[in-house]
Amino acid sequence: MSVEASRLSLRRRRTVTAGAGGPRYPGWLALPATAWYAFFFLGPLGILAVFSVSRREGYTDIVYSFTLENFRYLWDPLYGDVFLRTFGLALFGTAATLLVGFPFAYYLARYARRKTLLLLLVIIPFWTSFLIRTYAWLIILSPDFPIFRALRDAGITSEDFSLLYTREAIYIGVVYNYLPLMVLPLYAALERMDWSLVEAAEDLGDTPFTAFRRVTLPLVLPGVVAGSLLVFIPLTGEYLIPVILGGDLTVFAGNLIAQQFVTARDWPFGAAIAMVVIGAMTIAILIYARLTAREVQYGG
Amino acid sequence: MPEESRTIWERSYDRKGFIAISAMTAFLAACGGDDDGGAGGEGAKTTTGAMEKVGGTLHYYNWADYVNPKTYPAFTKATGVKVKKDFFVSNEDLQAKLQAGATGYDLAAPTGYMVKILNEAGKLEKIDWSKLPNAEKNIDPKFRKLPFDPNDEVSVAKDWGTTGYVYRTDLVKERPTSWRDFFDLAKGKYSKKVTLLDGAPEVIGSTLVMLGHSYNSEDEGELDQAKKELLELKPHILAITSTQYKQMVVAGRASIALGWNGDGAFVASKKPAEYVVAEEGGEFWVDSYVIPKGSRNPDAAHAWINFVYDPKNNATETEYTFYGSPVKRELIKPVIDPEVFKNTDVFPPTSQLEKLEANDISPKGTRLRDRIWTEFKAA
Repeated sequence: MSVEASRLSLRRRRTVTAGAGGPRYPGWLALPATAWYAFFFLGPLGILAVFSVSRREGYTDIVYSFTLENFRYLWDPLYGDVFLRTFGLALFGTAATLLVGFPFAYYLARYARRKTLLLLLVIIPFWTSFLIRTYAWLIILSPDFPIFRALRDAGITSEDFSLLYTREAIYIGVVYNYLPLMVLPLYAALERMDWSLVEAAEDLGDTPFTAFRRVTLPLVLPGVVAGSLLVFIPLTGEYLIPVILGGDLTVFAGNLIAQQFVTARDWPFGAAIAMVVIGAMTIAILIYARLTAREVQYGG
Repeated sequence: MPEESRTIWERSYDRKGFIAISAMTAFLAACGGDDDGGAGGEGAKTTTGAMEKVGGTLHYYNWADYVNPKTYPAFTKATGVKVKKDFFVSNEDLQAKLQAGATGYDLAAPTGYMVKILNEAGKLEKIDWSKLPNAEKNIDPKFRKLPFDPNDEVSVAKDWGTTGYVYRTDLVKERPTSWRDFFDLAKGKYSKKVTLLDGAPEVIGSTLVMLGHSYNSEDEGELDQAKKELLELKPHILAITSTQYKQMVVAGRASIALGWNGDGAFVASKKPAEYVVAEEGGEFWVDSYVIPKGSRNPDAAHAWINFVYDPKNNATETEYTFYGSPVKRELIKPVIDPEVFKNTDVFPPTSQLEKLEANDISPKGTRLRDRIWTEFKAA
């Protein structure tokens, strides 16, 4: 019943927006955006697709052909591991930033007094280059940093304990760098919440947890989805944090691609890896979107 | 002298350095560029006397800080050619620019393997040796007909150096001399105190050499042996980096680092350290002058090459960059600062050089190395 109802309401809403009631915009207004999209997104994507089925000959030449050789070469447990590790990193980053970011955004939207100030603090890091902020973590994670020296002196950590150039350092860097991308959409969703709905649910006998699950969560789910995608997608291509904070001791898909384009000078193979990443990501996102869409319908 | 040589060392490490430095140098060069302008007067003296007046402008695309600033005005004075400078930070940077169709450069100084790549892509003009009497006369025959340009058609050697390792003599008690020593120390006492260059050719090549194979081997069996050695080494590596290791060794965070001689010399100028060319051999690289396709003033490029091949002018260059000179040693010895000539990082004993090889890896070898490199890093 409720599923049917929500479908109906969705359909009705769609007819309303598409109907003659609203203001009509001339189609050419979409032209700049469409041209931009075609030129800077579809164009390069097409080039990438062509490269990925081409062959490299000699040192740099790209011979245009149709061969699946690059993809066959990728069919190797070694590269499979790289993709799995990349997926793991992206998943970890999304879950960790959600776990850290949600309570913060919740507090910010519902209880915080100095919202503007706190929001500003979230945004301020963007004023500095991503690269510089990541390099700054080299200093913080160095064994000579006061916290680590104190821990060492107190005998809590061993003499040669160091976080620098470890997987943990990569994880810390990822959470730090991607947190704002999660917090902002979450905050935007929570900010629009009508908290009286939650109060009503609690008045009608829901525990705070049930009220959160049945009222708050479905309403802010679009924010969770947006934040997750904003973190997950760029993370599948992340390669600077592993290089800088991880000492370049592990390989993620991004590193593999960069290696092909810059040092191995094998553009077709690099393009093939990129295509696989894009493909895998598209599938993952479609599944995710499907799951969360169902959640919205039932939850409502 | 120590003070002065320290500043020279500090400059010399910029060859493979950072964008910031190159950008700054470019800025300074832009500010200072006009000073060279009017210096092309008649009757300028040169040490060889035979310098022809060429005129015009030379567009020189180079590594940052890889030319003694004194050389520019001297060259302008001798030939009437003004020099416009532009800088790249890596061979791939230069390649990308030239392959994307950039023209207007008259002279560039890529590393050997890139000379070969650019030449195969048809991006280089021919060198006319008849315009280079100084080079013809003074070049050490070792630097003629190098594997990347076997007929001396498109390049003339500019500088050269080696890939070995640097270690802190105060932190490492042993006195390593070979690649085997390097591996043993790294896997033993100095585990997690060792860094490697971020370069498959250098790291895999040095391992191959340790095993008694060629630096450029494309034999799958030999490469497999090297891979096994490297996978054993992996857990003991602190970091893989080409840009941060100098600072890490200076700070003592790393004790031993696989790297280039210029960087080794940089570390040695700051802390007690020694740069080692391994007994088994290793890589020696040569940066060469090339004339990119589309040069508008190839005569000026030839004039520059000929000018710096005068032993006196070449000594001025070497005293500044601290990278090896391709001029015959007996010719450069009387005119160069004796301190620099004595420095074995700059002028290694010839016995040491005979074992070294230049990077000459085939496309097949490149692909095999790339997979090993991925496996090594992913381990």
